[in-house]
Amino acid sequence: MERFQRQTILPGIGISGQQKLQNSKVLVVGAGGLGCAVLPYLASAGVGNLGIVDGDKIELSNLHRQVLYSEKSIGEFKVVEAEKVLTSMNSELTITIYPVFLTLENVDNLLQEYDFVIDATDNTEVRYILDEACRVAGKAMIYGSIFRFQGQVSVFNYQGGPSYRSLFPEEEQSSLNCAEAGVLGTTVGMIGMLQANEALKIILGIGEILSGKILIYNMLKNDQQIFELAVQMEPVSEKVTSPTIDLISAGKALGEGGLLLDVRELGEKPVVALANCIQIPLSVLESRLDEISKEAKITVFCQSGTRAISVAKILKKANFQQVKAIRGGASDVVKLIENEVKSVEKQD
Amino acid sequence: MITINYFGNIAEAAQSDSETLDLKSVSLEDLLSLLDTKYGISKFQFQVAVNRKIISTKQGLSLSDRDEIALLPPFSGG
Repeated sequence: MERFQRQTILPGIGISGQQKLQNSKVLVVGAGGLGCAVLPYLASAGVGNLGIVDGDKIELSNLHRQVLYSEKSIGEFKVVEAEKVLTSMNSELTITIYPVFLTLENVDNLLQEYDFVIDATDNTEVRYILDEACRVAGKAMIYGSIFRFQGQVSVFNYQGGPSYRSLFPEEEQSSLNCAEAGVLGTTVGMIGMLQANEALKIILGIGEILSGKILIYNMLKNDQQIFELAVQMEPVSEKVTSPTIDLISAGKALGEGGLLLDVRELGEKPVVALANCIQIPLSVLESRLDEISKEAKITVFCQSGTRAISVAKILKKANFQQVKAIRGGASDVVKLIENEVKSVEKQD
Repeated sequence: MITINYFGNIAEAAQSDSETLDLKSVSLEDLLSLLDTKYGISKFQFQVAVNRKIISTKQGLSLSDRDEIALLPPFSGG
């Protein structure tokens, strides 16, 4: 207990508080910018059981903000590397890693073992799935999210409190994620830290939980505002029936053939030069839908996957028959094309 | 004077985090439609807070002098 002496002497914590931390089970969904801020603080504080979900591998462009990872870990699964680093911080932890993306199919199984969840994803689609599963299971979801220099934090589904969907009923148009909007490491760091702080408060039973409230932090102005959710938010009577989109990897998409639909705005890089790829920016999509056959096999992509999912939903609603979206984005497609070119050159 | 605070992508559309409008009394509905004419806010998903309390825009609320309005879109980066 010497290890935790500086925190156990705090009022409201004590040895019994440390025991609570030791016994708690927290699932962190997403080991990106937010996850990298949340995880080391939970691990160091002695949160005994951590689950980490993320199907992504580490890329060079992650390193400026995902501070658990180093140059030599590029190409590794984020969860594998995170486990190594966290175990070296605190060898007494039980860490369970899930190198997969959270989906409608696996969410209930993933949640089962844990007391509550930290939503550290950068994907609205996943957030709605997680929120609904948490609401049904009666488990809190600590939400954190970024838009450029601003961040939001809230605790949803806490002791029957409001859900994410009751605050933001699902809509097609999603806001930009980090790959599209840009982000500073300190912004995700601070928001992740606020999420970790809510997690410790929930476990220890101290302070006020950000349930029924949403905090918005503006990093450029150091301005923090808390908004109260309406006492009677729109009731979530039935699950909104939004079409589910089949998300596939860039490799699978190229293998399957069909039409590749680039919905990025003109000028976004990298350029994807493929005979079966056409570009119709999201901003003008609805006026140009008649350019695509409803029977065509279509795979949508953008910079990170967010807009691709929105567009795939729009297409499905407009009766396009075979629509999928690429998880990830244009840079994955370009990498694959480059590798293919290289391997052809080698054969020559 | 009514103060309107913008967040996320709505602040970008308005090219400002905050502005004050010299309106003595106006309904929330009329204010939102005025802001839609100015910045096209209806294409965004957002919640509206009046004096830091999120309220239903269907309530037909009339705003008064010195009310502080906030337009809150969801964020999605991480």
